[in-house]
Amino acid sequence: MNWIIAFPELVLTLCGLVILTVGVVQKKSTNPFAACSMLTIAAFAITGFLVTVSPDGSGYEHVFVNDGFARFMKVLSLIGGALATIMTLSYRGTSGGGRFELPVLILFSTIGTMLMASSDNMMTLFVGLELSSLAIYILCAFDRDSVVSSESGLKYFILGSLASGLLLYGISLTYGYGGTMEYGAIRTVLIQSGGASLGLMLGIVFLIAGLAFKLSAVPFHMWTPDVYQGAPTPVTAYLAGAPKIATFALILRIMAGPFGALAPQWQLLIEMISVLSMVFGSLAAIPQTNIKRLMAYSSIGHMGYALMGLAAATPGGIRGTLVYLTTYLFMNVGVFAGIAAMRRKGHETTDIADLSGLGRTSPGLALMMAIFMFSMLGMPPTAGFFGKLMVFSAAYGAGLYGLLAIGAITSAIGAYYYLRIVKVMYFDASAPAFDTRSPSLAFLSVSMGIVTALFVLVLGPVTSAAQAAASALIG
Amino acid sequence: MTALVFYVFATILVLSATMVISARNPVHSVLFLILGFFNAAGLFLLAGAEFLAMLLIIVYVGAVAVLFLFVVMMLDIRVSEAREGLQRYAPFGAAVGAVLFAELILAFGHWRIAPAIDAVPHLGQAAGETNTAALGDLIYTHYVLLFQACGLVLLVAMIGAIVLTLRERPTGRRQDIERQHARTVADTLELRRLPLGRSVRELGGFARPTSYSEAAAKGSYDPHAPVLSDESRGE
Amino acid sequence: MHDVIASYFPVLVFGVIAVGIAGAMLGGSLLAGHQKPYAEKTSAYECGFEAFDDARRRFDVRFYLVAILFIIFDLEVAFLFPWAVSLSHVGLFGFLSMLGFLGMLTVGFIYEWCKGALDWD
Repeated sequence: MNWIIAFPELVLTLCGLVILTVGVVQKKSTNPFAACSMLTIAAFAITGFLVTVSPDGSGYEHVFVNDGFARFMKVLSLIGGALATIMTLSYRGTSGGGRFELPVLILFSTIGTMLMASSDNMMTLFVGLELSSLAIYILCAFDRDSVVSSESGLKYFILGSLASGLLLYGISLTYGYGGTMEYGAIRTVLIQSGGASLGLMLGIVFLIAGLAFKLSAVPFHMWTPDVYQGAPTPVTAYLAGAPKIATFALILRIMAGPFGALAPQWQLLIEMISVLSMVFGSLAAIPQTNIKRLMAYSSIGHMGYALMGLAAATPGGIRGTLVYLTTYLFMNVGVFAGIAAMRRKGHETTDIADLSGLGRTSPGLALMMAIFMFSMLGMPPTAGFFGKLMVFSAAYGAGLYGLLAIGAITSAIGAYYYLRIVKVMYFDASAPAFDTRSPSLAFLSVSMGIVTALFVLVLGPVTSAAQAAASALIG
Repeated sequence: MTALVFYVFATILVLSATMVISARNPVHSVLFLILGFFNAAGLFLLAGAEFLAMLLIIVYVGAVAVLFLFVVMMLDIRVSEAREGLQRYAPFGAAVGAVLFAELILAFGHWRIAPAIDAVPHLGQAAGETNTAALGDLIYTHYVLLFQACGLVLLVAMIGAIVLTLRERPTGRRQDIERQHARTVADTLELRRLPLGRSVRELGGFARPTSYSEAAAKGSYDPHAPVLSDESRGE
Repeated sequence: MHDVIASYFPVLVFGVIAVGIAGAMLGGSLLAGHQKPYAEKTSAYECGFEAFDDARRRFDVRFYLVAILFIIFDLEVAFLFPWAVSLSHVGLFGFLSMLGFLGMLTVGFIYEWCKGALDWD
């Protein structure tokens, strides 16, 4: 049974249950929010350490697998969860102090993402995805006295359930025509039968559709702007990070594992989704005036670039995607930490015009935001450049020149709105200053800014870890 | 005989599914949905999935349909406005439905039963074992990780329901048991000596608490609390 | 397949008899009872919504919370059914796995209790 292989997940679950109990038995007078947040961050740190020393292997009778790829993705998810929890320390919401269920729900969602990264079975895929998504639906509507927050939770929930329905239909078709739910067995069946029946191809299409929804890839991206804008900013920061990474872990594992032999069939589909996402993400962001909506469209575009690595269908492509996801996580958390700092007199103000003159009123924050904007558009030597470089070189190596050209053009178009934000910050007349940043947001934006600007220093270790992960997946 | 039963269940299922989307009153839609669930449970029974059929009735009809009804009853859906949208989007919906139907036909045209299906060890039921027991043999041993993850999903749902809907309502008048137990004789009976023509209130009032705000458990009752806008009880 | 139909035939008989008896009771009162309704008699007594009215009105979200908490524990019970019939086969490991599941939901129950979701008011 090898149950010890899921030890990090078991530890994190236990921590979650303990933190929940600790939070709820407090007296009414003390707000356990800060204590529960700190405990959650500690739980993430412990689990991260346990993941890095966890052994390879397969457990629970072909339901769970641990290899270099799973470790890489789990560490990224845990970092995403921990950074989002740090951001919640400053969260006020419309009703005063935060409630302690916020870090607890982030913790449970992260358990779901860890299950997704280690899935060896279609059922684990689904259960992990549902666990992670359900917690996020609740988190999006967390600010229940705010109409936009309830709207975002409702929209995400309804569309997410529809996507889960599509995903389940794909899983059932794959099970019907493949005969088994386990990835290894499906792979064997497909290699032996030398191709896929039409039913299995339909199953793969529905699977990709369901997973592309979670990735906010075009044409399944409709929920993204409203949900990003309405959800509380720490929740948006979490939602743009760890679940996307976990869904990528799923889609990479499925496409490289059981359906690896069918690459010529699904490659075109992934290429099309990638092209549409890049084009749409760059064009639709241009007229935006709200920075959270802008970030939503920008993250649609980023997912397009990351899918380029998958479309290449080579180990180099997977490595490129993994490096891109790492840089994307840090950039995103940093930007949202900056956005969360945009408060005036206790109210959130998220228009781009509110950033005017930030270079004079708050030079530190403006510098960090500028670094993140340059990184998002891919300017060397920031982190975003290296991510794009690896993905583009993988596409070049696989001969996808059209994709590469479209990627380069959309990068240039995207540069417009990123540079526009920098211009608004430094060259426009000053708007009234923001409230003083809370320490957690200052810490996050500065640390992510340093990581993004000096990414070239950690590029080597990250790339070799990604290479090891890619070979663990393919080999 | 089996075929007859199958066709009865299947026909009623398809008809009630059609009525779900075309009934005028949303409450009727939900009632047709419940009828559909019952017939689907009958179809599951025919296929030998007894536990799934019972689960469908207990969980879907017994709980999920009730939740549907709550939502439908709470929302004041203007049926005529909803119908206007139908006219505009009907061709698009029909196109999507036709594509899905074509895919279904294509997929099932390639359906073949694997010859080795009986050899898969845990798919067959031991003789004399019910479907429920066969499922139980697998869920708690073979798929224990997924089972625990499902427990987590239920826990998250519980937390979510409470996080999103529970409000502190200061109208409880909850008793404070410790205070009641700690009552002394002096708290129950008070003798005042009043001069002629004077009232107790002039002389400082009674010492016993005379309003719920003082006697109730702290925080549970506040007569001046603003009534929240979602607190409309049924008229 | 025919076995399945044959073994559920008693259920069908049961259903038919139940519908028959209920129908007979209602039909009997419809046909043979004196019907002289007036407003006072047909109004709701003690409490409750008006009968024969449009079912759609706003009501308190506490009812919904109770329904959701019910469904969660109903699903827990649904998982307990196969465990109950197969416990002799799955032995100690199956017992412990169900204990873990129940433990998680007990933590949820403690959470509900301490938050006050089980108090109506």
